[in-house]
Amino acid sequence: MEPILEIIDLRKQFDGTPVLKGVSFSVKPGEIVGYIGPNGAGKSTTVKIILGMLSKDAGEVRLFGQPLDQSDVAYKARIGYVPENAELYDTLTAKEYLLFIGELYGLEETVIMSKTEKMMEALGIREAMNRRLASFSKGMRQKVLIISSLLHDPDILFWDEPLSGLDANSVQIIKELLWKLKQDGKTIFYSSHVMDTVEKLSDRILILNDGAVAADGTFEELKQEADGTLEQLFNTLTGFDQHAALAEDFLLAMKGEAPHDA
Amino acid sequence: MMRDILNLKKNEQTPFYLRLIDLLSFIYTKAGVNYSQMRLILDVKMKMDGRKEAGLGGMETGSRSDKEKNQFFSSLWVYSLVSLFLLVIFAYDNWVFQYTVYFSFLFVMTFSTMLANFSGILLDTKDATLIGTKPVDRRTLGAAKATHVGIYLLAFTLAVGAPVMVFTFVRNGLVAGVLVFFLSLLAALWCLGLALLVYATVLKRFSGERLKNIIAYSQISLSIFMIIGYYAVAQIFQVIDPENLLVEMNLTLAHSVLFPMWFVAPFGLLQEGWSLTYAIYTGLLLVGSGLLFVLYNWSTDKIESNLQKMDSSDENISSRSMLERLSGQLVCFDPLERAYYHFGWQLTKTEREFKTRLYPSIASSLVFPLVMTYNNLTAIEPGMDPGPANFLYLPYFTLLLIPVLAVSIQFSKHYKGSWVFELTPEPARAPFLRAVTKAMLIKILLPLYAALALVVLFFTGIGYLVQMLNGLLVFSLILYIETKRSVKSLPFSKKYSASQANLGCMATVIFLIPVFIVSVIMIVSQLFIPYAQWGILLLLTGLNIRWMKKGFSK
Repeated sequence: MEPILEIIDLRKQFDGTPVLKGVSFSVKPGEIVGYIGPNGAGKSTTVKIILGMLSKDAGEVRLFGQPLDQSDVAYKARIGYVPENAELYDTLTAKEYLLFIGELYGLEETVIMSKTEKMMEALGIREAMNRRLASFSKGMRQKVLIISSLLHDPDILFWDEPLSGLDANSVQIIKELLWKLKQDGKTIFYSSHVMDTVEKLSDRILILNDGAVAADGTFEELKQEADGTLEQLFNTLTGFDQHAALAEDFLLAMKGEAPHDA
Repeated sequence: MMRDILNLKKNEQTPFYLRLIDLLSFIYTKAGVNYSQMRLILDVKMKMDGRKEAGLGGMETGSRSDKEKNQFFSSLWVYSLVSLFLLVIFAYDNWVFQYTVYFSFLFVMTFSTMLANFSGILLDTKDATLIGTKPVDRRTLGAAKATHVGIYLLAFTLAVGAPVMVFTFVRNGLVAGVLVFFLSLLAALWCLGLALLVYATVLKRFSGERLKNIIAYSQISLSIFMIIGYYAVAQIFQVIDPENLLVEMNLTLAHSVLFPMWFVAPFGLLQEGWSLTYAIYTGLLLVGSGLLFVLYNWSTDKIESNLQKMDSSDENISSRSMLERLSGQLVCFDPLERAYYHFGWQLTKTEREFKTRLYPSIASSLVFPLVMTYNNLTAIEPGMDPGPANFLYLPYFTLLLIPVLAVSIQFSKHYKGSWVFELTPEPARAPFLRAVTKAMLIKILLPLYAALALVVLFFTGIGYLVQMLNGLLVFSLILYIETKRSVKSLPFSKKYSASQANLGCMATVIFLIPVFIVSVIMIVSQLFIPYAQWGILLLLTGLNIRWMKKGFSK
């Protein structure tokens, strides 16, 4: 099957510091791909380039079988995006915000309103519909973002940390939702720091480290390279094995004592 | 029920500006803008401007409780009131003179408002995440932003120009009235277009930390150019007979760079008939407007695509400077206050929005004294010594910066971070405000004042050192009083929105009167009453120590 998203040797630097050092991977339609990596590995930068928020320095990005063309933004109507740092227009109410986003996608007001009401109902925030977003908790904001990314029934989802701030029950709903979306034929590309979830939920896992893909495959395949859980694999691939020592150093620093020699 | 509310909004309560823009929709469509999306973005942005940002942890529900009112529009009448003084121009019978004064004033006012208050909207990066990721192209988003600012600028221009426009209809006839109306609106669009072009160029050429600095510098230099231009325009005319209010004009082609003059030329044609100079100038106006529109159209999507550069932050090794450390030790009397002092200092060092708001005002407060120094030096007969009174008032111009400065410290891009101050174990408000006020005094006002005071001392002699020192102490005191009056919340705890754009400007206008009185009292008393300067020094030192120790506490 032809890939829905293909990235070849993508490079990007900020002020001379390379962030992406030749990232290549492809995603097939209907896959759930977990995109993981330490903070600053370049996960969000990759997604921002795909969405046209950043320009690439070199490499190729093909989406829906077409090279990315910034002069025609129609492709964005097929994307659902949840940004990492739950930014919203705080002075609007949830209803107004979702209506606004829906209309940007060219949807009819009646359609948006009936979808919004039902989606908010399902996620348990319907009664907050007419409240300003400024008063929303982090989890509620996340739910609004998730709804806004699905209003237009997109083909591929880019979700940056979709579970952050959600309570346990909501996490379960969203996980279940992800499965159902996959069955519906959607492609899902998401990033998370919760290894447990990534391990269970993803068809494929991409580990990004220091601006390059460190591992790419199903969890079963990745297990060949290192034993144990995804978390252990992650640590091995990102060369991190000192959590105990670092925690110790941290505690000593809090007490105002000198750390052990490293 | 819901449908009702929305229908009502669409049919009966369509705001005036939206109806107006609907009439122009064909222009947008022609320029490759998705009009319905543009209109939608604009509508939502204006709606947001009308709402006050909820305070810390504000759990207030719904939008119904507080009235939605755009502060910007409801405060415009002050500008009309202020520009009533422009009506003096109708005492002269020369139309070209009348409208030169008018358009110079209009350009300075509108352009500085544009730079100081609306740059933030044009350079906003949040829209790229929330709107740019939807199928909205850059041209449409750019057009929405430009229109958003344009509406404010047009309203502002109409308010500033209202008295002159009305009087033009009455005194100079219908044709002149219509002309002045449309040319005023065009002038507002020019300000917007010029600012956009400058930003497009700067964003294209630079990146990273340098970009942010250059944006700030470009704002300062634009303000300075504007005011120097204002001065240069004034040179064109000479009052040859004060009694009959007769003015002589020496308009040459060398003046053709002063583009506000282009707006005046049509009036020359109208009153005095055909003249080659006027015709050329009118031609320049037409060509310039066309060119500006073409250039804008060509650069509009480039602004959006380069805006993301503003957010890239590289490691910025920032440390406390010598001045910051020393002054902190000197003016802060307890450790908590010192902590706030450094916080205020560092925050205003890196926040672009703060600089954007303040720097144009700094530029204008510096330029007037410098122009007047130059005036003093050129106006004096050779061999004569310029009297000290010609210089002593110059540093007092910086007082005009205080209202904007005092208002500015309430706002921050990162206003949400202010929850930290709810956690501090000791009552925070008074020491926090004291510290931030002191930081602003030392960081922003002191260098400006010192520079001007040095210029003054250079021309008047070291004997006036005490007077200069007294001036600084007056500054400090007025800054305290103004901050106490205008800052009702914690510093850096409010979000800055377009509707609050002219908060400080209004105060500045009202401020002119006390500034004038204080300056006169200070200068006259110290010049003519023996030993007055020492008495004032003592009194002011006492008052300053008092506010620096106990200020802001209830």
